Amino acid sequence: MTSSAQAASAATSPSQTSHRHIKEGFFSRTLPFWLLLPSILVLIVIQVIPGLFSFFLSTQTFERGEQIFVGLRNFERVFSSSAFNASLFHTLFFLIGYVALTMIAGFVIAQMLNRKLRLSAFYITVIFVPWVLSDVVVGLIFRLFIVPDYGLFSAFFADPQIFPPRGISILTTPAAPALVSGVPFPPAPALIYLIFASAWKALPFITLLILAALQTVSREVIESASIDGADGWRTVRYITFPLILPTLIVALFNLTLNGVNGVGLVFSLTGGGPGTATEVLSYLLYTIGFGRLDFGRAAALSVFMAVINLTLILLTLRISRSEREA
Amino acid sequence: MKSTFAPASLSPAFYRSRRRIAPWLLNGAMLVVCFFVLIPVLATILTSLKQQTDVQRNPPVLFPCDTPDGQFSLNTCRWSVEGYTRIIEPRPNAEALLGFEYAGRMVSVYLPNTLIYAVSGSVLVTALAGMAGYVFSRYRFRARRALMIGILAITGIPLLTNLIALYRIGVFLRQTFPGYEERLYVIVVYVGFFLPFSIWIVKSFFDTIPRELEEASFIDGCTPASSLIRIVAPLAAPGLTSAFLMAFVGIWNEFIAGYLLVGKATLRTAMFGLYDFIGQFVIGYQVLAAGCIMVAAPVVIMFLFFRKTFFRAMVEGALKG
Repeated sequence: MTSSAQAASAATSPSQTSHRHIKEGFFSRTLPFWLLLPSILVLIVIQVIPGLFSFFLSTQTFERGEQIFVGLRNFERVFSSSAFNASLFHTLFFLIGYVALTMIAGFVIAQMLNRKLRLSAFYITVIFVPWVLSDVVVGLIFRLFIVPDYGLFSAFFADPQIFPPRGISILTTPAAPALVSGVPFPPAPALIYLIFASAWKALPFITLLILAALQTVSREVIESASIDGADGWRTVRYITFPLILPTLIVALFNLTLNGVNGVGLVFSLTGGGPGTATEVLSYLLYTIGFGRLDFGRAAALSVFMAVINLTLILLTLRISRSEREA
Repeated sequence: MKSTFAPASLSPAFYRSRRRIAPWLLNGAMLVVCFFVLIPVLATILTSLKQQTDVQRNPPVLFPCDTPDGQFSLNTCRWSVEGYTRIIEPRPNAEALLGFEYAGRMVSVYLPNTLIYAVSGSVLVTALAGMAGYVFSRYRFRARRALMIGILAITGIPLLTNLIALYRIGVFLRQTFPGYEERLYVIVVYVGFFLPFSIWIVKSFFDTIPRELEEASFIDGCTPASSLIRIVAPLAAPGLTSAFLMAFVGIWNEFIAGYLLVGKATLRTAMFGLYDFIGQFVIGYQVLAAGCIMVAAPVVIMFLFFRKTFFRAMVEGALKG
């Protein structure tokens, strides 16, 4: 990134005259540069260089201590592997369930909280507790519910009448045979359970975001809509929904990003299992890179994930900007 | 919420009746929601207070309070802090503070490490984000927009992408420099991870402080630097506090970076310790639950004290960014 140099030249340029009346010492004139410098250095060292280094690693392979340039072969091998194919679908199923569940629950709860109940502050605080828990803690808490035989929910899942034919044990029951070969659908119970655990953790943040947006919708608009004869559902559908749409989109992208990148919960809840049933992309990346120490292929996969992430962020940016200008 | 079609001609009494019922119903619904949200937490607290024999019951019991013939009785409750003592491992030692030394790795190694990483990391993040956020909020220069978008784009690099490279860089540093300090490396990595988001938060807080205050201070003879320290910094305290708190909770809860980058057993983090417990206490569910409570309690308490600051920081960070 050459922008730090640009910042310096810009800061010292005569066009920067917001404090013209001050005696312009060298330090005062270049103050913005010095204030920015440490942050930029840290970001270059910890984020930019490692990012580029990973990109470089994705074109390398390591054989008997030697590093060889292999071009795009790492990408080919990753994308053609069945583990990648399966984990792509796992991620997709996970994302759909996780995003839908969290958005719907968050929207409903935010609607209720927006009614200015006397205890709203208390409710928000309570609902927010899961947010401060770490992924590992959340995974472990939900794991304790379903440990074979002794978990609080284990008996419920093991009941053959609720889950025919023989009941299930989340941590050990594999996925049912795939309906279409190559597509691991239906997903394993563990993946569905993972969705619930993740949604539980993400719910507070999404609720708060939506609530903040709902509070900007003026009462008058809602009231005039109901005077014009709109019922509750239509008010939500035609008034509230369009007004908070930008926030909903931000929330959606936030969830997707966290869903793609989050890995701590998989670690402590299922460890990718049973088998590879909960091996989402980020967990696969971990197993390739740090389990098998195949850094070249792991880097290739990580570049693929970075592309997904950057696309999502640029889309969010574009949408939120166009909304602000409109 | 969903009501039948209500024409404008309905009597005021209709609306009043709707309003009178709604809060009652909504409060009930919200209490149910809160209860469901808290079930996992409450269940974990209960589990952490059971004995080994009570966590290994099939069918499981919520309260360890049943008599042998299956009756519930408060007199027979067998609460126990065994889970906690197995983590803390207090050993009587006349010379130590309070007469005990704490041998458990969680208390003697992992939690202190995490505290060091979280405090030093978030102090650095706050300082750097304060300076950078101030510049982005107050100065207009050519590269400003590019830099801001660059910082946002950086948040798009997945953690694991960087970690692959950072892991190899760490291995390289360890082999090349004998005096290499792993702890310092981890702290700098954490600062780098949490800085972009913090810069955005701090900038949006600075944006709410009127420029006139600073201009007045310039007229009174302040230089930009002294105006920043004397006028702006106190006003920006809430913003800096939120940056600090968010970074603190973020570093405290961070697992994968600490797990991969820290090699020495004595420098491991609390989240690593907790993850390690899963393999260590295979059926000691009360120990695992107690571990969760111990690791989570500090940040939960912190959150309860500063919840408004957290809420504001999150909304600002997500919507302005």
